[in-house]
Amino acid sequence: MTPMLTLGVSEYALPASVLAPYLFVSAAMFAIGLIGFLTRKNLIIMFLCTELMFQAAGLALIAFGRHHLGEDGQTFVIFVLCVAAAEAAMALALVVLLFRRRETLSAEAWKELKG
Amino acid sequence: MITHLLSGTFLPSVLASAPGADTAQAASIAHGPKWVLLIPFLALLAACLNGVYAAMGNKTKLPAWTTVALLAVSFFATVAMATGFDGNAYTVKAFDWIQVHGDASSFVANFSFYVDTLTIYWMLFVTGLATLIALYASEYMSHDVGVSYSRFFAGFALFVFSMSCLVMGDNLVMLYLGWEGVGLCSYLLIGYYYKKPAAVAAAKKAFIVNRVGDLGLALGLYLVFVHFGTVEYAALFSDEKLLGYLDAAKVGAFDQIPAIAEWIALLLMVGAFGKSAQFPLYVWLPDAMEGPTPVSALIHAATMVTAGVYLIARFYPVFLISEHALPIVAWIGTITALLAATIGMAQFDIKRIMAYSTVSQLGYMFAGLGVLTPTGGAYHVLTHAFFKALLFLCCGAVMHGFAGQLDLRKLSGLRRVKGWGVVTFGMLVGCLNLAGVPFTAGYFSKDTILAEAFVTPGASLIGWILLLTAGLTAYYTFRVFFRVFMGPTEFHPGDEHHDDHGDDGDDHAHDDHGHGDKGGFHPHAPGWAINAVLATLTIASLAASGLYFVGSGEHHGTETKHYADTMVSSSTASYHSPYSEHAFHAGDHGDSHAADDHADPNAVQAGVGPRGTITEPLLLFGQDPHKVMYYVSGVVGVIGIGLAWCFHLWGRTEAATCRMDSLARLFGPIPRWAENKWYVDEFYNAAIRVPLRIASHLMHWFDKLVIDGIVNLAGMAPRMFGWMVRPSQSGVLQGYAAGMVGGLAMLLVVILLVVRLGGGS
Amino acid sequence: MNPIWLILMLLVPIGGALLVAFGKERNAYRDAYFASIAALVPAIAALFEFDFSHAGAFQGLWSVEWLQPLGLKLSIGVDSVALLLILLSVLLGPVCVMASKTAITENRKLYYAWLLVLQAAMVGVFISRDLLLFYTCFEFTLLPMFILIRMFGSTNRVAASTKFFLYTFTGSLVTLAGLVYVVKFAAERNGSWSLDIETLTTAAAFMSPTEQALVLGAMLAGFAVKVPLFPFHTWLPLAHTEAPTAGSVILAGVLLKLGTYGIFRFAIPMAPAAFVEYAPMIAVLSVIGIIYAGLICWVQDDIKKLVAYSSVSHLGFCVLGLTALNATGLSGSVLYMLSHGFSTGGLFLMIGYMYERYHTRDMRRVGGLASKMPVWATFMVFFAMASVGLPGLNGFPSELLCLISAFQADAGWVAAGEPGAAGVTLGPWYAIFAGTGMVIAAMYLLIMVGRICFGPLTEPDGHHAHEVLPNDLCVREIVTLLPLAAGCLIFGLFPGLLLDSIQEPVNQTVRLVENAQELSGPRPGAGPDAGYLYIEETGAEGATP
Repeated sequence: MTPMLTLGVSEYALPASVLAPYLFVSAAMFAIGLIGFLTRKNLIIMFLCTELMFQAAGLALIAFGRHHLGEDGQTFVIFVLCVAAAEAAMALALVVLLFRRRETLSAEAWKELKG
Repeated sequence: MITHLLSGTFLPSVLASAPGADTAQAASIAHGPKWVLLIPFLALLAACLNGVYAAMGNKTKLPAWTTVALLAVSFFATVAMATGFDGNAYTVKAFDWIQVHGDASSFVANFSFYVDTLTIYWMLFVTGLATLIALYASEYMSHDVGVSYSRFFAGFALFVFSMSCLVMGDNLVMLYLGWEGVGLCSYLLIGYYYKKPAAVAAAKKAFIVNRVGDLGLALGLYLVFVHFGTVEYAALFSDEKLLGYLDAAKVGAFDQIPAIAEWIALLLMVGAFGKSAQFPLYVWLPDAMEGPTPVSALIHAATMVTAGVYLIARFYPVFLISEHALPIVAWIGTITALLAATIGMAQFDIKRIMAYSTVSQLGYMFAGLGVLTPTGGAYHVLTHAFFKALLFLCCGAVMHGFAGQLDLRKLSGLRRVKGWGVVTFGMLVGCLNLAGVPFTAGYFSKDTILAEAFVTPGASLIGWILLLTAGLTAYYTFRVFFRVFMGPTEFHPGDEHHDDHGDDGDDHAHDDHGHGDKGGFHPHAPGWAINAVLATLTIASLAASGLYFVGSGEHHGTETKHYADTMVSSSTASYHSPYSEHAFHAGDHGDSHAADDHADPNAVQAGVGPRGTITEPLLLFGQDPHKVMYYVSGVVGVIGIGLAWCFHLWGRTEAATCRMDSLARLFGPIPRWAENKWYVDEFYNAAIRVPLRIASHLMHWFDKLVIDGIVNLAGMAPRMFGWMVRPSQSGVLQGYAAGMVGGLAMLLVVILLVVRLGGGS
Repeated sequence: MNPIWLILMLLVPIGGALLVAFGKERNAYRDAYFASIAALVPAIAALFEFDFSHAGAFQGLWSVEWLQPLGLKLSIGVDSVALLLILLSVLLGPVCVMASKTAITENRKLYYAWLLVLQAAMVGVFISRDLLLFYTCFEFTLLPMFILIRMFGSTNRVAASTKFFLYTFTGSLVTLAGLVYVVKFAAERNGSWSLDIETLTTAAAFMSPTEQALVLGAMLAGFAVKVPLFPFHTWLPLAHTEAPTAGSVILAGVLLKLGTYGIFRFAIPMAPAAFVEYAPMIAVLSVIGIIYAGLICWVQDDIKKLVAYSSVSHLGFCVLGLTALNATGLSGSVLYMLSHGFSTGGLFLMIGYMYERYHTRDMRRVGGLASKMPVWATFMVFFAMASVGLPGLNGFPSELLCLISAFQADAGWVAAGEPGAAGVTLGPWYAIFAGTGMVIAAMYLLIMVGRICFGPLTEPDGHHAHEVLPNDLCVREIVTLLPLAAGCLIFGLFPGLLLDSIQEPVNQTVRLVENAQELSGPRPGAGPDAGYLYIEETGAEGATP
């Protein structure tokens, strides 16, 4: 047990050269998610994109966690996943309610909610 | 606090922090008998009772009888005060009034009264005339019996109370109380006929113009306190600083006196000008004739307007220490006298003529004070009070009897109308006094002033102008008498008749010697009250000339020439001009150096005084002006009367026209200008009132638009900010997201830069 | 003195308000009337029990701890100045209730309840000896006034109430900031937090001149708006014109005095050096206010707006006296605070009674009322004369003292060394210009009286008689006017009653400022933190709880 906790981490540390691809993938996922959120009109697709952004952030967290040899990254990913799950439930509930109001899943239907 | 009330106000206050401010005064001046308090407070009681009568809706003449009775008691108390006076001034305190005791200084002004000969002199004629005029008014105002009658007498009595406080007060604040009080009563009584817009406007004008003067008085009061540390007469006139300044002033060394002393005198002077209707603050007095005639007689002839003269007389030491105050007083008095005389010459309303003559005679009094004879000024006050009151009351009787007619073009020859004998005789006596006909009281008093003018250096021009004015006075006075009371009998009623004979104004079906009544109008002859008062005043005016011959000799260490001199010389107003002594003795012995033998405590050295040193006395026609003036003024007066007879009686056949009319046409527009009072009122309106009104309107707009605008702008600012930021809430979901992303990106950039620049994380 | 009277003075009106609020609508007037009369009882008891020979000492002290570590506790106590102001507020209570009987016909419960709450709040301000109670009640007076104007005012009431509330509230928030700074400073100095006014005053004088200046500026921001001082006065005419009669009376009678009381109690003692330095500036503003507001009065046609601007003008005299910082000035100013309530309150009542009958305040449409309402006209002339400053009535001693103090506050003019000038240099021009305010006052007040009372009778078209009220004043209305008229007369002839009572607090304040001055050393050219070591408390006999 102990070797895993005390010594094993240094052995399994991610070197910087291997770190980069993980980050690229994470950035790409994030960018795709962001652009998707900004350009799509369908509420559920927009929500999917936010989930994609969540996962991108999680990936980055894990990669850095391995790189810095701490348990923080992995812990935080658990947080992120919980939050994502809760948020998914809430957001989908809201989307359902909004759909019931306007019979459409388009975000444009709600442009009247302006200041 | 109730116990505090009982102990603290009616007994000497026992504040620990008051370092004997009361006792210092008490040590230096005696305390007089408490019954002296009756003099003012009985008048106050009369006012309160009349107020009660008004509230209860009394419909009898009770207010008048109450007032006359209480004022009569007041008068007898004054006489008792006069006879019981032993020559030492004293104070009588009623109660503590305004007292502030700080750590460093105290301001004390109590409700107390100061009695010396000047007070007694003034109070005698104030209370005496007040009683007589109240009796006159009981009949004159009898048409208004009811609430208005009570209101009139309440105001009347309150006036007498205020005047008593003014004259008898022992400190400047009491004087100010009386000053404003008489202004208030003047306002209430001028505006007595409050339904008439002219009366309301006149009352307002009187109060406001007086207030301008009051401002000067108030500022002078403050400066007196600040410089001398006290406003009480006893302490002030024995203050060492003041006495030091006086010694310097009496030899003309004004450079040793600080400027503040000059300012005190000048400010008090402004106050006096306001109350006594001197140029430029005289415009309220002629308009004040809108009030009932008893008011005009008492307030605007005999008492209130003399308050300014009293102020200067009482504070004569303060005026002496100022280099320019008394000369200004003299010149303003002279200008006023001449100006008012010229206006009076061109008026047709007899009350208004009398008003202008009052202004003119007040000018004489001020000129007298200014040429270093407070005696002359005070003497003229006394004589003027009697004969002017008499004149006004006669005019009032005419107005009362002829339904408000006062135009001398519509009245003539009234001496032949039955029942008007007393009025005619009273008017004659009054006119003789006013014109300064030899051996009348007015003659002697005017002479004193005229003579002094020629004796004082730098004042001879004043003397000549006053002499000319005396001639004009004689002229316009007898113009009134010859037009209204002499000549063919003819009269037209005014607008206020109570018998309904209809108004047939211009129906001139008259004959020269008939009764001249129009359409059955019967003049309302004066009743017993009016006749009794007029008779008393006539006798008093005639007897007043006797005052010139009593009271001469040695009094309390000074040599005095007559009654007024005696009264003035033992008071704070006492001053004997060294120039006068110089001329007097030159006239006596023909030698100017004989003055040195004469031990006069006031003249340090004959010929040395506030107006500089002179070696040769100033003489008129080579003689002592005092002697010469008897003849000169007599001649001038007779010339004036002669001119009046020539133009207004000789060959006059009807009321409306006379020889003067054709002569007046030779002067072109000048008589019309004089009739329009030289457009002074219009000038004030244009130069002061209109610009001030424009300024006020501008300020009002400034307030609404600018100041309030800024406030409103401040209120609008959050709104505008919100309005500017609102578009950011576009309602488009992606827009919000884009904003968030953008903000986040900027934040990252900033952090990166900070990290990079800060050199490490 | 037993503090129960002070507590009762606070609680009785609140109890009355609750009684009115939960009672019946038709009993609202009766309940309010009895409650306001009942509030007089503890006031008179307090008056009798107060020891006037130690008028400067705070009596009736009582406190209860709330949060000790933060120094929050409720403490009450009065000295003579506070007591007299409380008496004024309590006296105006029944007067206002009685005056509103026929004027308010709907929502009576609301009206009388809030009126009583307002009275309680005013009392609370004056009895407070800790900052919390003071500020709470100070702000709390705004709410009832807002409601009274909003619901019971004239045509423009919405704007008037909003502006009044927001303007005064904003100012007070800045004041709060200043006061909190003083609290913090005192806490640092003393080591423990306290909101007690005594402690704060003692500590505050040690602030550096810059700090004092900032604190003074902050405090004045609120107090100057309330007074109102010249550029901050624009809320007043609007609020007064739109308020109901009783609201105007209380506003003019007491609420404006909260500002001057605040300056007297807080600004001067807590920032003495700064006050002395900036006094000329404040004096300039007050003199401008006197003349400016007076001239604006002159061109008004709306009679209530005229009297409102005249309040601005009169309170300029009050502040002038405060800025002179000598015994005469402070006495005159406090006397002014007390007497202005009587005369201007009376004027507002007269206007209110006229308005109830004619429903117009425009002097072009109504005038010459002495023919029809002679009693009303008599009172009107009386109160106008009191307002003008006629000697014998109460406006005069206060005006006299305030103007003299301006002259006294210039060492160059004073004859025998006046050490008590506390270093303020005002000088003659202030008094000269303020004196012209006297003339202007005569102008506008007499013109007002001349138009509304005298002259030919003018009534607005279609005017018909009131269904309940007689043409002239009825007995109830006269009863409301009599205490005010009596006050004008009595305090005009016997100002000593008030002057003797307030002498000690005034002298104490002057001494406090002088001591702060002496020990602060010479100001011009001195360093920012020069020479304030300690304050020697002389003669202050107030017990610190």
